[in-house]
Amino acid sequence: MRRLILVLLVIAALGFATWQWVIVPRRPVAMPVPAADTLGAGLRAVQLYFVAPSGDRLVAESRELPEAATLHERVAALVAELDRGPTGAAVAAVPPGTSLLHVYLDDEGLMTVDVSRAFQQGFRGGAGAEYLAVSSLVRTLAANVPGVKRVLIVCGGEPLVTLGGHLPLDRPLDVTEIPTP
Amino acid sequence: MRARALVVAALAVACATPAHATPPWGRPAAVATPRPAAGARARASSPAAPSLASSVPTAELPEHAPVAAGAEGPTLGATDLARLLGATKYWRATLRKLELRTASHRVQLTVDNPFALVDDRTIELPVPVRSSGGVLRVPVALVDSLPRDTSITRLIYDARRGLVLRVPPEGLVRSPRLVPTAAGLTIAFPTDGPEDAVVIGRARAHFRVRLRGLFVGALPESLPPGGLLRAARLLPASDGCAFELVVAPEAQGYRLTPSPRGDAVELALLRSDDAGAERFAPEGTGAAPMLRVVVLDPGHGGGDAGVTAQGAVEKTLTLELARALAREIEQHLAARAVLTRTDDRAVGVQQRAETANRARADVVLSLHFDGSPAPGARGVTVFCPPATYAAAAADGPQPIALLPWRDVATRHAVRSRALAEAIASQLVLRGLGPVRLREVLPEPLLGVNAPGLLIECATLTAATDRARVTSADGLDQLARALAAGLDAYRRPE
Repeated sequence: MRRLILVLLVIAALGFATWQWVIVPRRPVAMPVPAADTLGAGLRAVQLYFVAPSGDRLVAESRELPEAATLHERVAALVAELDRGPTGAAVAAVPPGTSLLHVYLDDEGLMTVDVSRAFQQGFRGGAGAEYLAVSSLVRTLAANVPGVKRVLIVCGGEPLVTLGGHLPLDRPLDVTEIPTP
Repeated sequence: MRARALVVAALAVACATPAHATPPWGRPAAVATPRPAAGARARASSPAAPSLASSVPTAELPEHAPVAAGAEGPTLGATDLARLLGATKYWRATLRKLELRTASHRVQLTVDNPFALVDDRTIELPVPVRSSGGVLRVPVALVDSLPRDTSITRLIYDARRGLVLRVPPEGLVRSPRLVPTAAGLTIAFPTDGPEDAVVIGRARAHFRVRLRGLFVGALPESLPPGGLLRAARLLPASDGCAFELVVAPEAQGYRLTPSPRGDAVELALLRSDDAGAERFAPEGTGAAPMLRVVVLDPGHGGGDAGVTAQGAVEKTLTLELARALAREIEQHLAARAVLTRTDDRAVGVQQRAETANRARADVVLSLHFDGSPAPGARGVTVFCPPATYAAAAADGPQPIALLPWRDVATRHAVRSRALAEAIASQLVLRGLGPVRLREVLPEPLLGVNAPGLLIECATLTAATDRARVTSADGLDQLARALAAGLDAYRRPE
């Protein structure tokens, strides 16, 4: 009888162990995402600026984008994210369809960013909206591209005097002068 | 008026830019609710508006991340750390190791391990890196162990704010030190940019110093009794930081110089009028600004309709508002109003400026209405030229500075700011706000040699604003508020 009980206990222990290791899924260990090795695809946090729902300031939104190999790739991704818009209640500041054509960054920290004509043609609004649209672009570039001190916006390869007629854009904008969200 | 001018000048310049590098744009200066102007207080017993100081925004903090105060000490999320450093994250799940890579540096962190590898250096942290809720928490002590070269973003742990911040390019300003001397009192402001310090208000009662850099210290908790410094406070400033001091009447002069070691700027308050010392501002009243000619610039026109929303057309509204305001100015302010356009036609920016300059304008108001894609956008935005240090020192010796003619309006920045405050006050008092003020040189003021503003008088995409300005009395109501602002601007306090 004792032998039978012992055998049953051994069988029960083996069954429990099998259930634990095979049937019950392993409880995941809290880990930073991503949970797999990502040595081939690094992620970089970027800070994007959109217009607050109140329309009177910019708000920042953080996202992680795949690491870009070149300046053009990085800026193009940033502009594309601005065009894609915010995830929350904020509002995209740049006119729809805005994309990057070319970008240059000189040794003095002057970034010349050539955006598609949609940036100008798609703009609707007054001085306040114009101010925030330009600020959103300049501020996002300055926050995510090291070494940028001034930004000159050109459009479709041609100088852009003003976006909506209220604020001059024909000279580089000093990023330290652009704005408090 | 003199007192108000000083306050306005100082606050304007608290948001100012150096004269040698006047930017095409100034700084943002979101003014939510300005104080009532002098004229308003004299005529109406309206509820007191917030103080003027509240209208100047506090400098925006640079990129930062919150610090959690856990049982093991303050920690920072590794994702936030990567964001602040501009680093790319690589996670090795098998080793539970996170690597942060910047262009020239690497930081390796291992879960439950107090050792971090910074490039080829091993750093012992006070407590291990922990994994909490799927996020690695890193002791903030790591921030002090990061490389100090210029190839990596410099971070600082600000315990007072409970944040880790990116050190801004203009650097930091730390707690001031008071050093009594035989000649008086020296206040040393440790700063990364001592050469950028500037006095922006010379009155003893409101002596103001502005420094480039983020203030991460604290003001002294107590001041020596009977000393030359009676009080000190931090002023809101849209860039850098500014301090307002109350200086005792016994002080005869001051001197602002970089410290011998170059790591601070020293403000010496002197009991005697030493040679080479600067004098405080005379305490008296100043002249009120003249208001004989007001140039009104109705925005847009011709093929440029401006903002259109639900039948409201900006170019039409601006012209009607200009006509109504011209009547108010001529009937109640005994001044002459000149319009840059009197019908529906396109007028270039240069032509508008030429009209203003030929008329010898005392004030130029460029009238506009706003439109925004943001659903909650409403109210008024006032754009005024950014103040410069040279403009602030208009009553003292000025350095020679070359100014492109297109930026000539910045010469009148201080008065423009005073005008903006006066008009904003009237708009708010009459329920036509909220009003935001931005220190930006707008396109219509390029080449205008007079104090001036661009006013987005309402937001046409906001239903309430649109209904108001398109109502029978809407534009007259606006015109009366603007005229009252002009009146307050020219009245001595």
